[in-house]
Amino acid sequence: MTFKSSCIWILALCLTCLSCASTQVQDIQPGEKPALESDEAGLWMVMDDIEANLKTSGRVEHDPELNDYVKKILCKLQPNYCDDIRFVIVQTPHFNASMAPNGFMQIWTGLMLRAQNEAQLAYVLGHEIGHYQRRHSLIQWRTIRDTSSALIFLQLVAAGAGVGYAGSIAQMVAMAGIFAYSRDMEREADDIGFEIIADAGYDFHEAANIWEALIEERDAADQPDQFILFASHPTTGERVNAMRKMADQLESQGRAGHPYQREYLDATRPFRAKWLKNELRKRDFAASQVVLKHLLSTGDNPGELHFYQGELYRMRAKQGDHEKAIASYQQALRCEQYPPAALRSLGLLFWKTGKVEAAKDSFKNYLNLHPDAPDYEMIKSYIEEIQ
Amino acid sequence: MMTASTRAHVFSIFARRIHAAFKLTALFFFLFCIGCATTNYKATPAAPNLPENARVIVMPLDVQLFELTAGGLQEPRADWTAAAETHVQTALESFLAQRKDTVVRYEPLQDNPEKARMNQQLMKLHEAVGNSIMIHTYFPGFNLPTKKDQFDWTLGGGIQRINERYGAHCALFIFIRDSYASAGRKAAMVLGALAGVSISGGFQTGFASLVDLQTGNILWFGRLFRQAGDLRTPEPAYEAVSQLLVGIPL
Repeated sequence: MTFKSSCIWILALCLTCLSCASTQVQDIQPGEKPALESDEAGLWMVMDDIEANLKTSGRVEHDPELNDYVKKILCKLQPNYCDDIRFVIVQTPHFNASMAPNGFMQIWTGLMLRAQNEAQLAYVLGHEIGHYQRRHSLIQWRTIRDTSSALIFLQLVAAGAGVGYAGSIAQMVAMAGIFAYSRDMEREADDIGFEIIADAGYDFHEAANIWEALIEERDAADQPDQFILFASHPTTGERVNAMRKMADQLESQGRAGHPYQREYLDATRPFRAKWLKNELRKRDFAASQVVLKHLLSTGDNPGELHFYQGELYRMRAKQGDHEKAIASYQQALRCEQYPPAALRSLGLLFWKTGKVEAAKDSFKNYLNLHPDAPDYEMIKSYIEEIQ
Repeated sequence: MMTASTRAHVFSIFARRIHAAFKLTALFFFLFCIGCATTNYKATPAAPNLPENARVIVMPLDVQLFELTAGGLQEPRADWTAAAETHVQTALESFLAQRKDTVVRYEPLQDNPEKARMNQQLMKLHEAVGNSIMIHTYFPGFNLPTKKDQFDWTLGGGIQRINERYGAHCALFIFIRDSYASAGRKAAMVLGALAGVSISGGFQTGFASLVDLQTGNILWFGRLFRQAGDLRTPEPAYEAVSQLLVGIPL
């Protein structure tokens, strides 16, 4: 046999291996730790390191009450894994959460801003718990490792056989395999999340609702490409239908649950202003408008929400937006409580549109209401400038 | 969540992390190949001013070992890392025992979250500063114009707080990342050689800093940067530590 024909034989063998690589993995048990010599222990080691570093990051929301609240939900969902799962709330204005193989979870504030009740957040947490229980990260790591290892031989052998293009075809096949695998795992985690919240007494219709709100936001968005999670996740319409069907089935069996909206609003209210401010800084106003609309529909702390609605218009500054912003700020001022900054923004817009007396009044009211304002001197100088 | 593209996301974390550690290796390796001979350690003029019997805190080691898979991924190995931590610690203590200085091991206060947090921040800071030194002082093309030939890097005065319980003069930080070719990688290297393609093996890279506990200034900085060495067994680990600590003013 010549070198070239041997290479072609090996090539055929490699292609066969590539298509049959699969790993049987058992669910992780409560309190279980991987054996030191395993590949899983290596992943844990790296993630433990990342966890220690991230926990001291300035981007983490450290508030003890908020963290206790989320911890309580986690433990209610899966009491047996309560000690195995840790988390940080990371200040990032996008919808996301992730689970590492060692049980370390990241929850982004963009998700917490978008969840409309405790059941929706619980569903996402349940989804992540599902990834942990099923050891999805480990399976994925092994798939990537084994595929990339098979590929390098394939490419070398293909080069030896003089059929270099075989390598790139194999690479495409392999990548498609990895993504399909990932979508299957997402479906599995979705199902687990659904079951967990239903068993914990949450309103299981909220699983479909949070997805639906996200689709609404994506369809409205100025930059839909930024919704990175849609790449590796099952076609979302399909997931909404699956979740709806499962919910209808449970309902027909007489099951029901509670959304726990009041609890959720109470826990997140103190942080909402900060999260909304970060949300608007993305400058994807069409997407943020959908988020604001859902928040306004709760009727919770409307003064603050109308203020941020005004901020959205003021920052977007398209034709007619100044007038809309002024109307939103004025609506905020009619509420029982509102951020003093509404008066400052109102003053700025009045000034810009030539209503100097109204601007002066707004600035004065701002200073009266907020004598400790860090920009007190600046606003005072505006008033003097107007006079 | 679902998002998360958890998979993709977690893997991007892995990838980023493992990448961050090894991007440097790759860069160094490239520069190594194009050839740049420098001494392995740097020191400030203040370094020899340490007292005769200086008291040295050895900070917790930051060591991680990886297996290079056939496909070129760095697979983290917890068992090798645990062995390496023991061997490097032992080697370090016996290396320093030959000197006149007093060596104390830093014990992070786990019961004090604020102190534990600060300790973690210092380790992160040392990693960041050390990586910058690796890039900007060893390779002529990456020299910083503002530094010229000066070696004046610092972790800042905040480091004084770790000294409260020790009354030491300086602290020694050590950071090492080491990788070894798996059997599959070795096979790929052989096959690659036959096919005329060069495939790289494992790489040992790391750095150590001796830090003044008054000012936070790095008095001396040593590095490892080679396709050799093995931290998984005691003797080669001692050899690696001796290489790393060449020229340390203790």
